[in-house]
Amino acid sequence: MNYKQYTIILGIVLMGVILAAGCTQGATQPAGEIKIGVVASLTGPVSNLGNGMWDSAVIAANEVNAAGGVYVKEYGGKVNITLIPGDDQSTPAGGQTAVTKLITEDKVDALVGGYSSAVTYAHEQIVAQYKVPYVVTGASSPTITHRTDIDTSYIFHHCPTTDTYGKYTTEFIDQVIRPAINAKFNFDAGRPLRLGIIYQDSQFGQGVYSAVNNTIHAENLNIQIVGAQSFKMAESDFHTTLTAIKAAKPDAVYVAAFTNEMVPMVTQARRDVGLNTFFLAVENNDAPAYYKGLGGYGNYSVIESRFSPYTVPTGTIADAVAAFKTPYTARFGSPPDMMGASTYEGVRIVAQAISDAGTVDKASVQQALVNLRMPQMIEAMQNGVITFSSNYHESQFKLYMEQLVWNPTAGETRPQIVWPENLKAADFVVPDWYTPGSG
Amino acid sequence: MVDVGILLQIVFWGLYAGCIYLLLATGLNLIFGVMKIVNFAHGEFLMLGAYVTAAIFALSGLNPYAIILLTMLVLVSIGGFVERLCFRPILGTGKLNEIFLSIGLIYVFENVAAVIWSDRWQSIQSPYSGISIPIGPVSLPLDYVIIMVVTTAILTGLYLFLERTQVGMAIRATSQNRRGAMLVGIDVERMDMLSFGIGSALAAAAGTLWVVSGQVFNPYMGSIPAIKAFAIIILGGLGSIPGAIIGGLLYGLAENATAFLVGGPWKDAVSFIVLIVVLIIRPRGLFGEAEE
Repeated sequence: MNYKQYTIILGIVLMGVILAAGCTQGATQPAGEIKIGVVASLTGPVSNLGNGMWDSAVIAANEVNAAGGVYVKEYGGKVNITLIPGDDQSTPAGGQTAVTKLITEDKVDALVGGYSSAVTYAHEQIVAQYKVPYVVTGASSPTITHRTDIDTSYIFHHCPTTDTYGKYTTEFIDQVIRPAINAKFNFDAGRPLRLGIIYQDSQFGQGVYSAVNNTIHAENLNIQIVGAQSFKMAESDFHTTLTAIKAAKPDAVYVAAFTNEMVPMVTQARRDVGLNTFFLAVENNDAPAYYKGLGGYGNYSVIESRFSPYTVPTGTIADAVAAFKTPYTARFGSPPDMMGASTYEGVRIVAQAISDAGTVDKASVQQALVNLRMPQMIEAMQNGVITFSSNYHESQFKLYMEQLVWNPTAGETRPQIVWPENLKAADFVVPDWYTPGSG
Repeated sequence: MVDVGILLQIVFWGLYAGCIYLLLATGLNLIFGVMKIVNFAHGEFLMLGAYVTAAIFALSGLNPYAIILLTMLVLVSIGGFVERLCFRPILGTGKLNEIFLSIGLIYVFENVAAVIWSDRWQSIQSPYSGISIPIGPVSLPLDYVIIMVVTTAILTGLYLFLERTQVGMAIRATSQNRRGAMLVGIDVERMDMLSFGIGSALAAAAGTLWVVSGQVFNPYMGSIPAIKAFAIIILGGLGSIPGAIIGGLLYGLAENATAFLVGGPWKDAVSFIVLIVVLIIRPRGLFGEAEE
């Protein structure tokens, strides 16, 4: 066989493959696709979490597509989801650029993601302007859907707000940590807990600070805020801040920070400043990078959560969590984090809303999201259903508190659920190295 | 009334931050003094220093304080290469070219680092982590004491090099009068390359000490310290190495005192307020000399 014959045969084979591929697509796939823009910090200081959000969205889209896609009535069949990344570069300006591109150039049908309240707050006005359905899965400031300077009717908040988890954590401090410390050190049972707060100087951090204050006053809790310090976003040297908090002699320190801030803060507190107290972290830190970064300095620290890479509450969602974690871990080499979990759900929520609407028309999808009632997936929801409140489009999660305990096999700490009672896997522990504050 | 021990700790943290700043600023000032170029990408050498140290540490398991010399050598080479390839061709063609070139280099270095090491933040632990030395009413972590000793040693070495060696004197001569240096036979282009390399190595030393102190690092960490380094050399006096040292320490102390007294978000702002005040009172900076 000469060169010319080889070329002819190769050409015929290639044409056959192309035609076969075209026929296959034509036979099973109706025209059209669902384009979902995923807004995440793929670069910049919080890219650890941003990449986890993107990876989780990929798992969700793959699951849906592997099952044949999303049934869309106007297309007369199932269509695949195509994800388009929008890298906000961990900055408000980067987020505005990314979202503008996703809407005007990529012409996405819906948006999912949005980490950092400051970043999301800046770009959601573009979303409001173009009226694109947006399921926010990361930014936790209530201002995301409470603000009145823009039309937030197309924005849906699928993560607890700072008001919700700030209140929950404060109640945990009052009901669990305070009695445990008083009992361990034989203090009077009525001794108030001395709380220090360190918060990022942003809508997120200020939201947590105000939620703690409001909860203490509204519920008349026996907690005294003895010190409050703020820091600018992406700070990594907390020595002076911690020294100031140590001077206030707290019993526990609640920190509103991102993982890239939380890890050096707790490390510097325990290692350099000698602040041997309980550090309570916000849920966004429940990620493999947090456990790895803290090492032994995270031992007996506390984190509020709704999805953990290393534990799962008993109940109906356990199988679904395993079904999510297994392919994720196999593909990306480490388990998913909490921000990824809500983004996974965000993609599934958008898919369900489009299916319910029977179209990708944005107004119809928005209405479908308003009316959404979807069974809970990998995060436990109030009443077992994902639905958005009529006033602020917020979904309601079931939260829990974890205490990190050293695991020699892993060479890192691992979380144990210690609250609420119906989910708890272990008792809250006051370790021997812990030093209580004093007035 | 604030406890004396607390105040001493604040001063200590200020001195630690000052050590990082002064190494970065001294390197920047050396380069500016000799070449009179504005390199906004100087902070990227700090970032590269952090990554090179972390990489060698991960591969070899050597004591990170021993790695500092290796890292500085690597960065001398990278700095010399950047000078030869990027800055020398545009030397004397206008400040705007230098500014845009250095801004471009920021993106190049950030992205190269992100490709090689990923852009996710990292951290390493020093072998002395958790060891403290009781000094008076306070207990000081050993790592930070070592960082101050290492900084002093590097500055002493730099001083001896510039004052006692032929090459050092040639660098100083180039810095003082470039044309005069050429007339007496000094290869000023070689001095440019050498001072750029040494300046980069000093930034790398700052990056290494940053890493060893347990701070997190990522490819984008260099920009803010570089801006501060510029403020410090303006504060201390352009081209003045003692000015960069004093300015760096003042910055570290001012930042930490502000964080304690006013709040963390004001840390960066107060440094620039100090700069503005100094420039109003003394436009040449603290140690700057009058223009010829």
